[in-house]
Amino acid sequence: MTDIELSRGPRKIVIDPVTRVEGHGKVTIRLNEAGEVEQARFHVVEFRGFERFIQGRMYWEVPVIVQRLCGICPVSHHLGAAKAMDVIAGVDQVTPTAEKMRRLMHYGQVLQSNAVNFFHLASPDLLLGFDAPVEQRNIIGVMNAFPEVGKWAIFIRKFGQQVIAATGGRRIHPRLCVPGGVNQNLSIENRDMLRKDVDQIVQWCRDALELHKSFVHSHEALHENFASFPSSYMSLVGADGGMDLYDGTLRAIDADNTPIFEGVQPADYADYIVEEVRSWSYMKFPHIRSLGREHGWYRVGPLAQLNCCAFIGTPIANAARTEFMAQGRGGLVHSTLSYHWARLICMIHCAEKIRELLFDDDLQGTDLVLTGTRRPEGVAIIEAPRGTLIHHYTVDDNDQVSGANLIVSTTNNNEAMNRSVKQVAVEYLTGHEITEGLLNHIEVAIRAYDPCLSCATHAIGQMPLVVTLEDADGAVIATRVKQ
Amino acid sequence: MDDATIRFTVDGIEIEAVAGQTVIEACDAAGIYIPRLCHHPDLAPAGQCRVCTCTINGRNGAACVTPAMQGMVVENETKPLNDDRRAIIEMLFVEGNHPCVYCVASGDCELQALGYRLGLDAPKQPYLWPGRPLDTTHPDIILDHDRCILCSRCIRASRMEDGKTVFGFEGRGIAMRLNVDAQGGLGETQMAAIDRAASVCPVACIVIKRDSYKVPNGKRRFDVSPIGSDIEAKRMPRT
Amino acid sequence: MSLLDIDERILELADLVDLDRSPFDDKKAFDRPVDVGFIEGGCANEYNVRTLRDFRRHCRILVSVGACAINGGVPAMRNTIGLKECLEAVYLGGPTLEGGGMIPNDEDLPLMLDRVYPSHEVVRIDYFLPGCPPSGEAIWEGLSALLTGREPALPYQLFKYE
Repeated sequence: MTDIELSRGPRKIVIDPVTRVEGHGKVTIRLNEAGEVEQARFHVVEFRGFERFIQGRMYWEVPVIVQRLCGICPVSHHLGAAKAMDVIAGVDQVTPTAEKMRRLMHYGQVLQSNAVNFFHLASPDLLLGFDAPVEQRNIIGVMNAFPEVGKWAIFIRKFGQQVIAATGGRRIHPRLCVPGGVNQNLSIENRDMLRKDVDQIVQWCRDALELHKSFVHSHEALHENFASFPSSYMSLVGADGGMDLYDGTLRAIDADNTPIFEGVQPADYADYIVEEVRSWSYMKFPHIRSLGREHGWYRVGPLAQLNCCAFIGTPIANAARTEFMAQGRGGLVHSTLSYHWARLICMIHCAEKIRELLFDDDLQGTDLVLTGTRRPEGVAIIEAPRGTLIHHYTVDDNDQVSGANLIVSTTNNNEAMNRSVKQVAVEYLTGHEITEGLLNHIEVAIRAYDPCLSCATHAIGQMPLVVTLEDADGAVIATRVKQ
Repeated sequence: MDDATIRFTVDGIEIEAVAGQTVIEACDAAGIYIPRLCHHPDLAPAGQCRVCTCTINGRNGAACVTPAMQGMVVENETKPLNDDRRAIIEMLFVEGNHPCVYCVASGDCELQALGYRLGLDAPKQPYLWPGRPLDTTHPDIILDHDRCILCSRCIRASRMEDGKTVFGFEGRGIAMRLNVDAQGGLGETQMAAIDRAASVCPVACIVIKRDSYKVPNGKRRFDVSPIGSDIEAKRMPRT
Repeated sequence: MSLLDIDERILELADLVDLDRSPFDDKKAFDRPVDVGFIEGGCANEYNVRTLRDFRRHCRILVSVGACAINGGVPAMRNTIGLKECLEAVYLGGPTLEGGGMIPNDEDLPLMLDRVYPSHEVVRIDYFLPGCPPSGEAIWEGLSALLTGREPALPYQLFKYE
């Protein structure tokens, strides 16, 4: 069970693995001379090398290759890369049919991904309690205790997956996009199949939100303070300032809701964002160039999507956002557990957008692909379920990729996740004991960001989180693996 | 019946052939599918891949180069033959780089389709990861040597159908590879996108540029029915 | 994750099996032998190797699920380039890198393997479920076959390498 190695003096805690996040992470906590938490690190231990091994491949292969980096949000990568390839193919605006097919797919993806995070990964903590017995604290336990929630979990995800399959031919790793457009429209048969269920799905999303709000209201202090801090936020917003998860310009705001930058075109992203490498993680640490590494870090994802936009263009989600923002008492909402609430609002928005699109005849259009004059470089940004996702490619005269730079959603949250972990460590670590409570709380904090740490399909296996406790000299005091 | 008609049996089924036909041609016409990779109905047979090996009168031989003979006894669908075929497909998979997951030929690829038909769940031989170069010098055509399975279809098509000599083999054994007749790669050859040689590749070695992934999932050649289904559909249902 | 695509059958699954460990629960190690283990992903670092060996020790039947486990998948694209070159490209260059960068080398990071290996090149594997990923139906077929003691046989429509 508990594996604590006590050595003389130096102390270090390791939690390995963090379960119920996608991928594999590891936490190290270091104490100072006085025995207080000095540093907490959330390590990402997987390395892929995509930016290098994609070089030499043909540019139109990229949307199909890059989506294999993640089995959780492959569609985000597929669409992000496809938008970058539109630029390279010289197409600034795809046809209405192509744009709407891609949007439909994207909303289906965000819907299903947010559903998985909320229901399958987070709801066991929220509904059964952070300290519920391990063998019950999972989706099956939730299904047994709350059959209704189990039903929502299964069918909302299923619907999102069906939307993806209807647009891209299959549920995971679909193929819809080619540079400059798409390879099919929406068949009447699929449209009608989806229309049949969409109202029910919208309703269930609303029901899930109500259930979550009752959790929030019964745990107000926890919800407000847990692993929380004011921070800056970044997301795409539409031309009208409203929420747009598929396209738009970059907007970043500081903790007081003062814009840091806005209206930034994807092509200019590198003027605003810079990344730092730290020796102890394969995941880089981005920050806003103008503010420097100390103050320039920010958060992305559902919470940022709600904080950054002025409104949501669908009525039910917009009303939900108004209520959500009231938590901020006129300012932004900073509480980390609010990510879940925000995630549910994004889910509602997606369900509403899907409903809207299913009644749009453009989806049966036959004008699918445009061509243009080849360009050497393309950047595209999309709001993935976990936040801002940036794809940047250069292509040589023979159509081969010569350079690639990706900043994925979870990377944007790297600093914030580390700070949340530290905050929890400070609050819940007493002495040199690594308690079950500490382990659980660290995991709950990380889970709020829904990090997707590697090729996340690989979920049936060990999802490691080790917590190590070190003393001021960096020697290990204790390691604990949650079992 | 006239003298030119030859009768022989395949797996106990009697079929007819015309003098001059090979076993594979006769079987294709009769609606019996013999798995093959290098054989192409429009090209001269080469006997290159050995996938079509059948037991003919008790001895193994390539059906694509064996003439049909009166009274011969051919075994095609047997476990040992299919095991050998599967082994060949498996070796081709591990000797090159065949990443079906993103390959432009996936769903249309004859190597993949044979893997499906023969039930190859996973190659178990160690992968060699050759990392051969990609030739993108031609404005309209890619030559991806990682995918080449040395079937020689392009060599035959270029020489006999296109009247050019764009392709040839160099090296022997494991070092054998496809080559083009110009120092500077495919872009310096006479090759054109409309050439027959550009359309006969069974895998994604010779690919037309900017033409990939246009066919949605579910609508590609082998998405719904196995390779050979078109040939087998010709067979009259036996009453 | 593809397992979730069995949709409402997950309830049926819950009745059929005890999920001893999965990403959906908080269990972090084996404490007893299990009947069936599903392995996904290629072997890219020492940690993956340890996990794989741990699975082999505790699972009566071990199933290699999906393209990454079977042939390394997309991450294995680094095999023809080399680890060092990949690390350098990602951590020492690029349009958004601040300063000169560095290659992460902390002792808390598992050592990387020279290549990404298919799982059956590391331990013995009993069954293979191809696909990227195998569809929910394919996983369901494989799982229900193993649970009822028959050999998994995927129909053509579910037997895909992509």
